[in-house]
Amino acid sequence: MPSTAAIVNIRMTNFFRITGLRIALSVSLLWLAGCKENVIDEGILPFTEPATVDAEGGTWRTILLPSAATITVPAPTAITSDAYQSELSSVKNGLLSVDPAQNTAVTYWALGGVLRWNQIARQLVAKYNTAPIYNDVTGQYLTTDPNAPVASLPFATRLYALLSATQYDALVVAWRAKYQYNRPSLSRQNIVARVPLADVPSYPSEDAAIAEASAQILLYFFPNEAPFIQQKANEHKQSRLWAGASVASDVKAGEALAAQVAQVALTRARSDRFALAADPANTLPALLAKAPYDTKWTSLDAPVRAPILPLAGRVKSWFDSTAVARTAPAAPPLTTTPAFQTALAEVRTLSDARTREQWRAADYWNDGLATYTIAGHWNLIAEDLIRQERQNELRTARTYALLNRALHDATTVCWQTKYTYFVPRPPQLDSQIKTSVLIPNTPAYVSEHATNSAAAATVLTYLFPGETTALTKQRDEAVLSPLYAGTQYRFSIDAGAQTGTAIGTLATTWAKADGAK
Amino acid sequence: MQQPIRIITLLLSLFLYQSVRAQGLIDGFMKGDRKASLAVSYAQESFDTYYRGTTPFRDPNLGTVTTQSVNLYGTYGLGYDMDLIVAAPYVRTEASAGHWPKQEGFQDISAALRWEAYDYKLGKARLSWLFSVGYSIPLQNYVIDAPVAIGHGSRNLDGRTMLHFKAGAFFLTGQFGYIRRGPVALDRIVNYYDPSQANPNSGMKANVPDVTEAIVRTGFTTKHFYIDGWVQQQTPYNSGTDIGPGIPYPTNAIGFRRAGATLYIPLVKKFGLNAGYSTTLSGQNIGNATRFSGGFVIGI
Repeated sequence: MPSTAAIVNIRMTNFFRITGLRIALSVSLLWLAGCKENVIDEGILPFTEPATVDAEGGTWRTILLPSAATITVPAPTAITSDAYQSELSSVKNGLLSVDPAQNTAVTYWALGGVLRWNQIARQLVAKYNTAPIYNDVTGQYLTTDPNAPVASLPFATRLYALLSATQYDALVVAWRAKYQYNRPSLSRQNIVARVPLADVPSYPSEDAAIAEASAQILLYFFPNEAPFIQQKANEHKQSRLWAGASVASDVKAGEALAAQVAQVALTRARSDRFALAADPANTLPALLAKAPYDTKWTSLDAPVRAPILPLAGRVKSWFDSTAVARTAPAAPPLTTTPAFQTALAEVRTLSDARTREQWRAADYWNDGLATYTIAGHWNLIAEDLIRQERQNELRTARTYALLNRALHDATTVCWQTKYTYFVPRPPQLDSQIKTSVLIPNTPAYVSEHATNSAAAATVLTYLFPGETTALTKQRDEAVLSPLYAGTQYRFSIDAGAQTGTAIGTLATTWAKADGAK
Repeated sequence: MQQPIRIITLLLSLFLYQSVRAQGLIDGFMKGDRKASLAVSYAQESFDTYYRGTTPFRDPNLGTVTTQSVNLYGTYGLGYDMDLIVAAPYVRTEASAGHWPKQEGFQDISAALRWEAYDYKLGKARLSWLFSVGYSIPLQNYVIDAPVAIGHGSRNLDGRTMLHFKAGAFFLTGQFGYIRRGPVALDRIVNYYDPSQANPNSGMKANVPDVTEAIVRTGFTTKHFYIDGWVQQQTPYNSGTDIGPGIPYPTNAIGFRRAGATLYIPLVKKFGLNAGYSTTLSGQNIGNATRFSGGFVIGI
């Protein structure tokens, strides 16, 4: 039996004579094993006071309501009253204590209530923007909740528009009451808030109005998310007490007025014909048969999938319905025409020699399944601009209400056109065309990326003229992205951009006359 | 770039279906002072079933995914106890169904230092203890976020240790490594739903989960042949995602257990052929792939 002494280290290595290097190597191996992944989050955001207070905001033109005066906000108690003073001291006492969870909530909502609820809406759209997933191993689809809505583009644009319009109207009502009653802000009563605030009268709380309006709209779209949405809304309202921005009666009044605005919004939503968008009466075969086009679209998915909300083109528009209908593009060239063949050949050429840069652009703007959609992407772009300009809550809501109504109407016209002509996607006619994104399960003509992006860029360029160059560049890349991806023809993009610009112009015309300077 | 590829293809047509000796970058055999070898191999692997998480899945919009690669693998003995290893594959991958385009190009270049730290004599047998540290970076900005892609695009740091036992013709090597994978830049903004996400606008940067790797390899090596069998287990170390709509492919937690065998036959002095086969026993967010490889090794 060999003793331990028989195990002889027959040679010490010559390469690492220096012990220090051995240690360094061992340490680096230990370091490797202890690695944690980077946390990718938003970091600490700079908080700034909004650039303007917009004291005349209560006179701005409302969208859902005939005017801000439609909703009466009861007069607040005087600040000298005992009731108010006890509310105020409770906020003061709260500011003396430190609670990390409260602080997190305060800073989270200090970014801006409208911005946060827009983010939450986008996140929920991404969660519900699904398609059935087929597993050939089992021959079955992955099980999904049959009651869960599918947040495709028409669903998403309707949600964003309704959310933004409700937030905006609720804020116009709030602003009117603020300057009608002029209850001084807490900062004017020697309270140092935890975060920078707009110097606007505190009654009613704009944040409570945003929270209540947003929660009610999102609950209508995502009933399954009730606990999440309600928790966010409560946290939002409470966060303003913790921040030293409002007292309890401010919050209560904000909540009450927003609930009334939300009722008006939901009444509109229930009668906007969206319930028929999924074609419950199965009129699609008849529509397909009478479509004035020579080769008809079919789903390129295996197994074949039903189209997405084929009748979403009939949903009630936000801007004048006649004007919206007039923006519809002309009939596309038939597949037998030289114009079409040239367009198809261009897609093929791009697909055969797609550059890495074209792939990047196509992927960047794809905004397909499980994302907030192309409309959500433009909401994100708007978010950056809003923060740059330090828009107050009212102005932020106005920006989003203009943008999202335009995106909704642009999508409506787009869908109406798609399910009038049923133009095939390029790979249906040339199987050699490879796509760098999943092919959207809708007819090609007219491009949803082009209609949405042109509409969004038109609205945002009007609202942020200083950003025209950047916005034009983004728009140009966005509209061309499906051509790079191999899912669109140039004529479909050009027509879509024209329609989108026309819809965007309807929004800017509205914006020029809504009373906001 | 075209010319060398043509030459390689020509060589491959002469020595079809052959492979490098090592599965994984590193094995337990030291090269020897001032000695070098160059291995050129061709490999083909394919799968029609992949794992979403650990659930076997077949997607009729993808069909069978076939990946072909040409791998250059050079080893040089810097000292009798220190080797430098460099590898670079050229990869082509395509799907038989659906509409995803094929991807082709140079993948990642890897370099590693292998150090035989200790060498013990146990009677007639020998036991050596080795360490290696390697690094790899993508050779080009290839597509990473697609079901048909040639790599992760991450920069990787690879540290591992090995015990290598040899008694006569028999050998047994056990190794354990940790692969640190750096974050990658996607082409798009990540916005899939994740309740733990503080901010849905996370930007375009994504983490690639690190993995640990264990390989056990055993076989016989003589003057006239080399044969081995091996099992490789890769396990995601950090939490990662599962394949799904909207999920960036690089953030998926990838794991697998594979088993394979290698045969090497020296034909003349300093020249030999080899062949390999491997199959996937289980997996996580990866194809259930079967792989054949073949190649030649030139000693210099």
